[in-house]
Amino acid sequence: MTTAAQKSSAATKRRGRASAGGFEPRIVAFCCNWCSYAGADLAGTSRMQMPPNVRIIRVNCTGRIDPAFILEALYMGADGVLISGCHPGDCHYTSGNLRMRSRYVLLRGLLEQAGIDPRRVHLQWASAAEGDVFAEGVRMMVERIRALGPSPMRGRR
Amino acid sequence: MAKRVAFAQLSSCWGCDQALVDLHFRLLDVLPDLEVVYWPAVVDYKLSDLKSLPDGSVHLGFVEGSCRTKEDVHILELMREKSRLLVAWGSCSCYGGVQGLANTWPLAQLVQRKFIKTETVTDSRVPEENVPGFVEYIIPNTDRVRFDIILPGCPPTSDNVYDAVVALLTGRPFDLPDTTVCDECPRERKEKRIKEFKRTYQGRPDPEKCLLDQGYLCLGFATIGFCGAQCPKANMPCKGCFGPPPSIRDHGAKIISALGAIADMSPEELENAFPDPVGSFYFTDYAASYIAKVSAGNSGDKGDGEDRR
Repeated sequence: MTTAAQKSSAATKRRGRASAGGFEPRIVAFCCNWCSYAGADLAGTSRMQMPPNVRIIRVNCTGRIDPAFILEALYMGADGVLISGCHPGDCHYTSGNLRMRSRYVLLRGLLEQAGIDPRRVHLQWASAAEGDVFAEGVRMMVERIRALGPSPMRGRR
Repeated sequence: MAKRVAFAQLSSCWGCDQALVDLHFRLLDVLPDLEVVYWPAVVDYKLSDLKSLPDGSVHLGFVEGSCRTKEDVHILELMREKSRLLVAWGSCSCYGGVQGLANTWPLAQLVQRKFIKTETVTDSRVPEENVPGFVEYIIPNTDRVRFDIILPGCPPTSDNVYDAVVALLTGRPFDLPDTTVCDECPRERKEKRIKEFKRTYQGRPDPEKCLLDQGYLCLGFATIGFCGAQCPKANMPCKGCFGPPPSIRDHGAKIISALGAIADMSPEELENAFPDPVGSFYFTDYAASYIAKVSAGNSGDKGDGEDRR
């Protein structure tokens, strides 16, 4: 997805930032196969720049994402979890993304009450044609997590 | 030869002991095979009685309750040393219990609320002499020491306890079922499209139809089928007190997952439907959840520990 040139420039950036601030967010992204994963692919083949802090996991549909996956990612030390799916109405399986949206709303309430900043989990829509939207989403996610700081799980497991 | 048994009680409500003595005359079936060496909940045993037993000399150790005080931790560790088979008896022991919900507040704030800001107390002070002191967070007993058998429930029914004790005495295997309360519930179920969630005091639930279909948050679908669906049979929604089936790793996550699939509501409506998600989705097992473990010791996201929801 990323070119060699992108990788090396990203690595330089990472080193630069690491020496300055010392915190590089580790973000797990769940992307649906039909829209956002293709959108991420488009962003890569179009050589759009985005921070390399995101590890993408492909799922067939955001409706397949059990909230336990998200919580387990946080438990295992992810600083943030990004979920990216089709726009409402565009789901390959008609309504998987809407179910994810319902789960996301409940999950945010749960995180907030538990004292975990709900901004650590973010849901976005990006179609297969929206490589730019996906890249921008990743950039904003990284900025958000950078501002929030490391996960409370870091160094505890 | 009679098996030596010990029953220890940590921070809990005595409900598990109650479920055991509720066996009434059926107790007589098993009592001849049991030699009780420690049971402070019903007989005046002292901690020294437990301490004086040789290590590994108790065949069956039952631990009820969770560790809220340092004394609880001490008794738990002692029980592990003395017992050959250790049973986590009840949801408190298995998952932390209702006390686990306290993990959504820092300890200092809990102590303030309980001892200083209590409305009925005039001369308020925090007791500090001759008390063991609190632990910072409720951590499930199963994360503190190794357990051989998990017997969840709030409390486990008399039948659950009887079956477990008989199985352990005769050497039969004792496994938890991977079924849910819904499998034991006699109510009529339909395709679910929930437009609105109701609190239990609202309306009058139809005793024949599925409570969830009627908009009551009945957690039977995500809760282990071990109690005989007692609450739904009495026209009350399941609160999930027995915890999830063994294959489910996070109770609340599974509940949210299911609700997302059956709720025919806008995101805003759904958000407002559950003002207390932790209390609603993790009634007795919050301390065992992923979020409680992430949140424990998390001062960064929590801010200055001011009142949260």
